[in-house]
Amino acid sequence: MTPGKKRLNYSYYPGCSLHASGREYDISTRALFKALNVGLKEVPDWFCCGATPAHNVDELLSLSLCAKNLSLAEQVEGDLAVACAACFSRLKTTQHHLKEDEEKRKQVETAIAGPAALDKPVKHILEILAREFGLSKLEESVKKPLMGLKVASYYGCLLTRPPEVPELDDCEDPSIMEDILRALGAEPVKWSHRMECCGANFTLSRPGVVLKLSNAILESARLAGADCIMVACPLCHGNLDIRQKEIKDAYGAPDSTLFGNIFGSELQQGAPKDQRDLPVFYITQLAALAMGVPSGNLGFESVITDPKPLLREKQLL
Amino acid sequence: MSRIGVFVCHCGENISRTVDVEQVASAAGEIPGVAYACDYKYMCSDPGQNLLKKAVAEHKLDGVVVAACSPRMHEKTFRKAASAAGLNPYLCDMANIREHCSWVHEDKKLATAKASDIVKLMVERVKKGKSLAPITVPVTKRALVIGGGIAGIQAALDIADAGHQVVLVEREPSIGGHMAQLSETFPTLDCSQCIMTPKMVDVANHPNITLHTYSEIEKVEGYIGNFQVTLKHKARSVDESKCTGCGICMTKCPKKKIPNEFDQGHGLRTAIYVPFPQAVPNTPVIDRENCTMFQSGKCGVCAKVCGPGAVDYQQEDRFSVEAVGAVVVATGFKLYSIDRKPEGSPIQGYGEFGYGAIPDVIDGMTFERLASASGPTGGKILRPSDGKEPKQVVFIQCVGSRAREKGISYCSKVCCMYTAKHTMLYHHKVHDGQAYVFFMDARTPGKGYDEFWRRAVEEEEAVYIRGMVSRLYQKGEKIVVMGSDIQVGVQVEIEADLVVLATAVQAQDGADLLAQKLGISYDKYNFYSEAHAKLKPVECATAGIYLAGACQGPKDIPDTVSQASAAAAKVMTLFSKDQLERDPVVAKVNEKYCVGCLACKKVCPYGAVEEKEIRDRQGNLVKVVAYVNPGVCGGCGTCQATCPSKSVELDGYTDEQIMAMIESL
Repeated sequence: MTPGKKRLNYSYYPGCSLHASGREYDISTRALFKALNVGLKEVPDWFCCGATPAHNVDELLSLSLCAKNLSLAEQVEGDLAVACAACFSRLKTTQHHLKEDEEKRKQVETAIAGPAALDKPVKHILEILAREFGLSKLEESVKKPLMGLKVASYYGCLLTRPPEVPELDDCEDPSIMEDILRALGAEPVKWSHRMECCGANFTLSRPGVVLKLSNAILESARLAGADCIMVACPLCHGNLDIRQKEIKDAYGAPDSTLFGNIFGSELQQGAPKDQRDLPVFYITQLAALAMGVPSGNLGFESVITDPKPLLREKQLL
Repeated sequence: MSRIGVFVCHCGENISRTVDVEQVASAAGEIPGVAYACDYKYMCSDPGQNLLKKAVAEHKLDGVVVAACSPRMHEKTFRKAASAAGLNPYLCDMANIREHCSWVHEDKKLATAKASDIVKLMVERVKKGKSLAPITVPVTKRALVIGGGIAGIQAALDIADAGHQVVLVEREPSIGGHMAQLSETFPTLDCSQCIMTPKMVDVANHPNITLHTYSEIEKVEGYIGNFQVTLKHKARSVDESKCTGCGICMTKCPKKKIPNEFDQGHGLRTAIYVPFPQAVPNTPVIDRENCTMFQSGKCGVCAKVCGPGAVDYQQEDRFSVEAVGAVVVATGFKLYSIDRKPEGSPIQGYGEFGYGAIPDVIDGMTFERLASASGPTGGKILRPSDGKEPKQVVFIQCVGSRAREKGISYCSKVCCMYTAKHTMLYHHKVHDGQAYVFFMDARTPGKGYDEFWRRAVEEEEAVYIRGMVSRLYQKGEKIVVMGSDIQVGVQVEIEADLVVLATAVQAQDGADLLAQKLGISYDKYNFYSEAHAKLKPVECATAGIYLAGACQGPKDIPDTVSQASAAAAKVMTLFSKDQLERDPVVAKVNEKYCVGCLACKKVCPYGAVEEKEIRDRQGNLVKVVAYVNPGVCGGCGTCQATCPSKSVELDGYTDEQIMAMIESL
């Protein structure tokens, strides 16, 4: 297929989060693809990829869940588009792992009673936008450039790691999100914590860990002068958005400090803290907004840290 | 009927573990033409060789097959023994039942059968073999040394001191290499310049050394003892024969703010320059890309002020051909100091460490320049961004090295020691400063090395944190270093003023291209391959070419100097003979049948095939045939396989021998 001549078509694996706590990611993904005239067909009867719990408990189960989903996806034409960073990671890991381990592949294929679709290309929407649709075409398609919006693009743990699996970008120093942001007319800020962990699913079992780690991310984004954060993972979104108030309560006092002091650094006491709310966007929400999709169709009402004041200020609503 | 002797070796247990050697010997005894067969624990040992010699005499053997290891290992050993027993050495062959059989198989029965087959093949080959005499070629007793760092300098001086002519080629304007850039050297902390520059002067003054700086290897032809090397002398724009080295051109040059490569871009130089004041030769070059005269045609100040009129803007690249008998390759290394993955390279960058983005994140060589008395700061440790003295310095080891996911899995060998040295230099110069080192292991094998490292930790107050760094970022004037201390099991953050990355040692740019010109092999990292990791560490598989220093793999100065002297010793051994004996396994053309199609000439990888005119007594041309120069022929047999009229044959591998081998199976 020659890109640009024929319409791009993808099969689509939304994953559980995108049908529940992260539904605005699903809504905005569909809206964006529609606006870009890129086909997106949901895999029928898909089910949970196992996310983090499955592979912590039972390796065979976690591989089988993904393998079965991949074989379901095989029935739909087009490379498999995935939005959720965890689903993307699990599906790619399964393919990588089973290609390397013949024995395990046989076990899995017995478990799912069929072949594992190891060669079905799994693509994250970031690479679809930046490489397959293409940055220049994306730039041409922009109807409402995100002028003046300073965005801290946050990659989190799974999009680029471990280096041999996702093949998305440089594993510790990626630029794909920044490239997309520039194409959308926004201004990506240079900041320090774009690859750090937000605490992930400790959010339920040990929320204290999440508060500490997510606070570091929010504070460094503020320090870099960002207006908002952009993510491509529903769990990161949850931690940074939903817990933002709790984080302020825990770390907002002027004498608390973000940075550890095990060696050498001096406590910076008494400085007033930057307490700005930082709205957290999905990549697809910002991209769809730039494509002129009405903001009412992008799920902005279902997030906790209200993005509308910021969008109004930047005249993007 | 032939009288072949077969000797089956146990190789300790290496062969006998998976091959029933007694059975192989008894089966060999049954082969027609075999007069004697036996097995022995170590055929290569003195009693083993005596066994062979005795058997040749007692059983009147006319050929010998030793079933043991690879001929690359011991063919020479056994041919020597056979020769001592009065046999033609080329009627002694090896059946490789170790690398080709016992090491790669598990089933003893099948392996034994295969070993017997291999022996049978070789017996047939020896039966049809001919007595051959070694070929002699003359030796040009003149050596080429490529690279003027400490490795090349040492090798050149050793060879020259032995009384032989040396041509030393360096692609930079001065010799000295990386060692000239260093401040002090481990484990004794003597000043690098003080031990290096006298050697550079020795090179310049040595009557047996011809020095070509600012020159590169263009083409290499020939073979051991007889190489013809074409050198490219890049246009210096200064006539070396006229220049007195007074330096007035440099003081008057109006372009004064070009980053100096010798100081890792932290000092400044002029457009006409010598890399550093102690350069050898002390003859400037004009950097044409930065020279106003070359860029806009207006200036010419250096030519005006030059008393002897040495500046020559019209100079062009010049080529010369040097005849040499041996080559020492000493092209050294470069540091892996990159932020992003270079296009087409398997090596990833270290953008997460801010290299290239944060000015106070520097590599180890830049720290050497900062600590050097001749460096851009006059030996004061000042950070590049604002010239302040850093009070907290973080050193990170293994940046790029031992990082498979980044594309390099080897250890760079020198970083543990030079980082320990850096912490000491820092402590000596900034008394109230604190050095931290993130490390995986401290690898300190070497005389006095561990003691040196312990001194850094115990006496010089460097804090060593075992763990890796995940990320660096700028926070105001500080650089926050985020890492882990795996011994305590905590995450660590340090606010540093300066960060020094001990980046990996890599092969020089263009190392692969030079290897292709020389016809030597290199590994996937472009380090040159030695002929044998243990027993031939300075020889290349290509005869007459030797290796010295870090071009073969990361190496410190003592190891480099040792290897350079070893390479020089190999060259002297070669030069100790007037004629060189070569294996007679070369192709010969049957001129009667050759039709002169010269298909062999097209396929010969050594360029050994020439055209030969056959004339009658009146001088009339009868026909043109192929002629194989035995001195150049590498014995690969490609011509033999190509020849449509079957008129080229490789001695030792004739069609008759090969067919007999196949038929025996």
